[in-house]
Amino acid sequence: MTEPARALFVPVLLGTVRQGRMSLPVARLVVSELSRRPGIETELIDIARLPLPIDDAGQAIKDPTFSAQMSRADALVVVSPEYNHGYSGLLKHALDSCLEEYIHKAVGVVGVSAGPYGGTRGIQDLLPVLRELGLVAIFWDVNFSAVQTVFDETGALRDQAYLPRIDKFLKELVWMARTLRHGRENIALE
Amino acid sequence: MTAMICPSCGIEMNHHAEKLVYPSGPDEMSAVDPALGGMIEELYTCPRCGSAAARRAEPARGG
Repeated sequence: MTEPARALFVPVLLGTVRQGRMSLPVARLVVSELSRRPGIETELIDIARLPLPIDDAGQAIKDPTFSAQMSRADALVVVSPEYNHGYSGLLKHALDSCLEEYIHKAVGVVGVSAGPYGGTRGIQDLLPVLRELGLVAIFWDVNFSAVQTVFDETGALRDQAYLPRIDKFLKELVWMARTLRHGRENIALE
Repeated sequence: MTAMICPSCGIEMNHHAEKLVYPSGPDEMSAVDPALGGMIEELYTCPRCGSAAARRAEPARGG
C-alpha cells in the first residue's frame, strides 16, 4: 500500500521588525495564497517574534523553535523589504542563526519597497547569502513597488495583478521544493 | 562511512550533502581539513519520514 504523500511545509519569513512595516500585509497575502494550494502547509514566521539576542550572532544563538521550523520546511518564502538599498540587518541575523536546517531546500524572495523598484536591490544582495546557507533560489521573484499604495487601510489587496505573479512564483517554488525533497530523501551524494 | 540511521524509522538515511563550515574558535582548529580550509558537515535525510540529521565528517588522514 502506498503511503499518503506528506504535505510540503513552506513557511513565510517576514524579514523586518520595523514598526508600521508594510511587508506585513505582503507576507499575509503570500500565506493566504499558499494556504489555497492542496498539499501545502504554511505559517507566517515573524522575525520580530524570534527571541534572538543582539549581543551575539550565528548558530550560537539558535532558537529551538525557529530551528525546528526550518528543519521541517521544504521551502521558504522570504519577504524582504529594501532599506537603504539593502536587505534588513535583522533578517540576516535571523537567517544566520541556522545552517544545516536549510541545506538543499528551495527559497523564493518577495521584495518590498516604498519606491519604484520593488526591493530588487535588496534581493540581489540577499541571493549570495541564501546560496551560502545551502538554499536553492528560484528564478521567480515577486516585487511590491510603492507598497504603501498596494493595500487599503484594512490590508486588502488593491491591485489584483499581483495574484497571477504570486501564482507563477509559488508554482515554481513548489516544483523546486518537491524536486529537492525527492533529492534529499533519495539521491545520494556520490 | 558509518550509515546514519533514522531514529524514528530505523532505516538508513540518505547522505545528500556535505557543507564546508569554518571553525568558530581556537578549540576547533585541530578539526580543520588543511586541504579544504574548514570542516565538513554531512547532511542526511530519511527517505521515509523526511527528518534530517547532520554530523561532522571525520577529518581526512593524510599520509
